[in-house]
Amino acid sequence: MQKFKSIEIKKEEIVPIAEKMKSEGIRLLMIHGYVDKEGKKVISYQYEVGDTVEAYTVKGEDVLPTISHIYDVAASWPEEELHELIGVTFEGLKMRGRLFLPDTMFEGKGQILVTPLSELVKKTQGEKE
Amino acid sequence: MSYVVPIGPYHPSLEEPIHAKLYTEGEIIKDAEVFIGYNHRGIEKLAQEKNFIQTLVLVERVCGICSHSHPFAYAQAIENIANIEVPKRGQYIRVIMAELERLHSHYLWLGIAAHLVGYDSLFMHIWNVREKIMDILEAISGNRVNYGMIIIGGSRRDISDDLRRDILQVLDEFKVEHEKIKEIILNDKTLAMRTKGVGVLPKDVAIQMGTIGPHARASGVKVDVRKDAPYSSYEDFEFDVPVVEDGDVFARVVIRALEVDESIKIIKQALENLPEGPVNLGMKIPKVPAGEFTQRVEAPRGQVIYYVVTDGGQTNYRLSIHVPTFKTAPTVPYMLRNNSVADAGLIIASIDPCFSCLDR
Repeated sequence: MQKFKSIEIKKEEIVPIAEKMKSEGIRLLMIHGYVDKEGKKVISYQYEVGDTVEAYTVKGEDVLPTISHIYDVAASWPEEELHELIGVTFEGLKMRGRLFLPDTMFEGKGQILVTPLSELVKKTQGEKE
Repeated sequence: MSYVVPIGPYHPSLEEPIHAKLYTEGEIIKDAEVFIGYNHRGIEKLAQEKNFIQTLVLVERVCGICSHSHPFAYAQAIENIANIEVPKRGQYIRVIMAELERLHSHYLWLGIAAHLVGYDSLFMHIWNVREKIMDILEAISGNRVNYGMIIIGGSRRDISDDLRRDILQVLDEFKVEHEKIKEIILNDKTLAMRTKGVGVLPKDVAIQMGTIGPHARASGVKVDVRKDAPYSSYEDFEFDVPVVEDGDVFARVVIRALEVDESIKIIKQALENLPEGPVNLGMKIPKVPAGEFTQRVEAPRGQVIYYVVTDGGQTNYRLSIHVPTFKTAPTVPYMLRNNSVADAGLIIASIDPCFSCLDR
């Protein structure tokens, strides 16, 4: 039977917890994130501690420190994804451009020509107005 | 001369779309980047509009190969939030389906590996033998893919005594064929010469990058959720977690061949000791309180991770899906370095990628 434990933390605790976990040989399972009903960003750092997933959750922060220098791509890919998905900025994260589809694709320069992102943004903003 | 060689998103050596940029010096790859997202369907967002039964149908379609693993993980997350205990017989049938899925998935990839190294007679033989497993899956569920065997609180269908005997007989036939195929895989020069020393991922790098599944086990990292955090009665079965140390493409072929043996062991034990009783708790939509849970399932390619948040309503408040390829694809640039451009397709394929899962 797997178990789950959720603990709310402040953003200052993210890096020390990651360093402690790494030093104990504990794997970073995943960094999940979503926007709650009040519009706050919720980021959950989840570690595999035996049969338990320990989730350290930070709420309401737009800028967080990266832990990619501790957990390498196991952290940088989820951080890049969350940046693109819900707009959280991870300070210190080395961004390669976009993870989900390269930048140039939206400019029509890649191997596929699609509607440029700038035009999609204009269209969306136009609809809001 | 330095070149940037693009592979994909649509390329003959890729089964599904992904974009890789290879930075080369002549024939040798010096660095690489991988871009994903060409199969993004917004499944996580769509799940927020669906009730718990509808979501089972939805997540089964995240992937065509591991279409049992996804609802398996999702259902257990909901069952944990709602404190629902699945009947033992239902748990065993879920395990049988999961291991049959591993057999057909590993055989599918072994066939593709043979095809990619130009050993097409082996490819056709492997896929022919794989049909025995597909027939069993069809006999149990009525389908070759998207089995629809998972419901909240158990398994949708039972396995009769007659069917159980038939499956055991077919498994024995499959085992005989597998021994012959394993003999070829372990000893044939054609496969070894094309895959040994290619796309190496050393153990320390595999640990540092946090990779999982057969990909990690082929680099000497013993990680398997079925043993590390058992679920659905996996603790009832005796099986080993094979590990190969070399970390090259050949090791990834061998590890899958060895894991097939262990899956056969598990299925036989589950069938021979199938508990009496119901397989589920009925077909009603469950009442799920507010809560959250992360469920891990060892899918054929590695861990499938389902993080579900509920708010006491009829739909998922948030569903976050992460799949093995999200943990294995980041290792591709490392494995490509200092290999030849001609091996790039083989190395990318050697993680047994599922970009449909990855992009969801």
